Amino acid sequence: MKALTANRLDDGEVVFWKAGRWVERFAEAELFAGAETGEVAEAHAKNQPTVVVDAYLIDLVESEGLWAPLSYRERIRALGPTNHLGHGKQAEGGAAIQALQHASGAARSTGRVNLIKR
Amino acid sequence: MYQYDTLDKEFLADRAAEFREQVGRRLAGEITEDQFKPIRLMNGLYLQLHAYMLRVAIPYGSLNPTQMRALAEIGRKYDKGYGHFTTRQNLQFHWIKLADTPAILDELAAVDMHAIQTSGNCIRNVTADPYAGATAEEIDDPRVWSEAIRQWSSLHPEFSFLPRKFKIAITASAKDRTAAKVHDIGLMVRRARDGTLGFEVIVGGGLGRTPYVGPTIREFLPANRLFSYLEAVLRVYNRHGRRDNSYKARIKILVAALGAEEFARQVEVEWEKVGAAGDLPDTEIARIRGAFAPTSFDTLVNRSEAFEEAKAADPIFARWARNNLRPHKRPGYSIVEISLKGIGDTPGDASSDQMDLVADLAERYGQDDIRVTHEQNLVLPHVKLDDLAVVHAELQRAGLATPNVNLISDIIACPGLDYCALANARAIPIAQDIARKFENQDRAELIGELKIKISGCINACGHHHIGHIGILGVDKKGEEFYQLTLGGSGAEDAAVGSMLGPALPANRVAEAIDVLVDVYLRERQGEERFLDTVRRTGVAPFKEAVYADAN
Repeated sequence: MKALTANRLDDGEVVFWKAGRWVERFAEAELFAGAETGEVAEAHAKNQPTVVVDAYLIDLVESEGLWAPLSYRERIRALGPTNHLGHGKQAEGGAAIQALQHASGAARSTGRVNLIKR
Repeated sequence: MYQYDTLDKEFLADRAAEFREQVGRRLAGEITEDQFKPIRLMNGLYLQLHAYMLRVAIPYGSLNPTQMRALAEIGRKYDKGYGHFTTRQNLQFHWIKLADTPAILDELAAVDMHAIQTSGNCIRNVTADPYAGATAEEIDDPRVWSEAIRQWSSLHPEFSFLPRKFKIAITASAKDRTAAKVHDIGLMVRRARDGTLGFEVIVGGGLGRTPYVGPTIREFLPANRLFSYLEAVLRVYNRHGRRDNSYKARIKILVAALGAEEFARQVEVEWEKVGAAGDLPDTEIARIRGAFAPTSFDTLVNRSEAFEEAKAADPIFARWARNNLRPHKRPGYSIVEISLKGIGDTPGDASSDQMDLVADLAERYGQDDIRVTHEQNLVLPHVKLDDLAVVHAELQRAGLATPNVNLISDIIACPGLDYCALANARAIPIAQDIARKFENQDRAELIGELKIKISGCINACGHHHIGHIGILGVDKKGEEFYQLTLGGSGAEDAAVGSMLGPALPANRVAEAIDVLVDVYLRERQGEERFLDTVRRTGVAPFKEAVYADAN
């Protein structure tokens, strides 16, 4: 399973793709089961240079019956910094946030790595 | 402190206006991200994990209360009520919106500040001794030379697109508080036998992927020839630096490849060509020196009954005085270190309210002077002994009186993976774990001077190579691991640390530090610091203890 993420241009906020628009909460992100659908969305995102910067697909893993980013880096992006728990999206709390906080997958953020090599 | 003139002020206002226009064009889609990125970086604006980060230059780590209050206010209005002081004596805001940045640059310009040359392949903010103008150890005031270099290097057309970034440090004391030997150029003020002022010039030090302690390429450079010589060094680098590979582009790689002698020879040849025309006239140095004219000190005796009584009455104050005060050149005054390393806090973070308080204290008790150290603390360089108890009480109320300067919990840590787009692992939580483990101040004082430095990636913003204990975060198949090094130093006895052994998982790091400390306390002889013991014994006994379970 994958999701599409980027940073919003005007404020840098971490955002996720949801059926043609960008949402701030990972819990609302559109999930792509097949590689193809994700790539179509990614191509759309790359055509929105005044909306987002650096769109890329991230791998997901199951956590507490929900989905969470597989890489640690992407979980920090989706949650906020671990030294200020009141900052970032984690401040909102709730089951979806907890699922991310308790996720234990480990992998490099391949979508991000590909972006750097570009 | 140096005062901006009309020209400086107009320039900054123009520059902020120019950036406002550039941001407008980017938001409107008139320029692409690839076109915009170098422009925003030239104004210190990075895109990080959660938001934009704005790095504000604090020239040679020197601030007045008005500037500190402006930073506090920017933190309040545009960030989350705080700022992060860095290992380059700068301040970073981590939650900045692109659209707000022009307004922030306006607010900075209003107090003679900016974010120019805090990024990009140019000459960055000069690092200087945070005790400048206050310590009796110094031969001359390094701020005079730092300011002259700042003016010379600002928007220098020839040196704005170097092969890679370029960092200069200046110290004028035998005790180096600037990490001069691991800078691209380290300048150590010297006085010749005949009284002439000059510099020992160290070139090609650096951290990152390939750490080097820089070699001295000139034992004594007369001070009045500084700028022609700097120009010659930069020219040789600009001509021969590796532009084909960013990992090999720093001057340290060139100096190592040529050898220090050959590099020095090429600099001498170039220096001949530059000639004295490349130097600043003495009158200009004198003008800058005038801007740092000594603050008006009272004539006092070097003993304060109020101070002695407060120490006798309050052991908490006495402990703070023991660890956070340094001798001042004037009788009756003290240098005050303000620790930004509260136990469990983020190293280098200060809230806007704390910044305001430091500004107030500098105004009321500190001759309007504030410094930032490269170890991510603040300094009030000129406080009367008589005022120390009240300064301490105010700091205590604001959570700024942690008595741990130079002790084990006075840890340098880069922002790491909690914020930085380049990081592989977090640095801050490791620092927090270690500080909590050594919360007991009696034990911390028993251990004595111990500098722990943590970086979240090989770029080494947390100076891990030169920590007495260095900690480097690495990504092992997506998990955070930490490599330990021992025996590094960023001071006058600079050295790159030696690797201890295989990397450890995050939850074993603080415990491993505890083991290292136990070995030190067992092995130390006499007054040896941790660093001295490591140097005498080598890493073997430490390695054996940390990896005992694995054998």
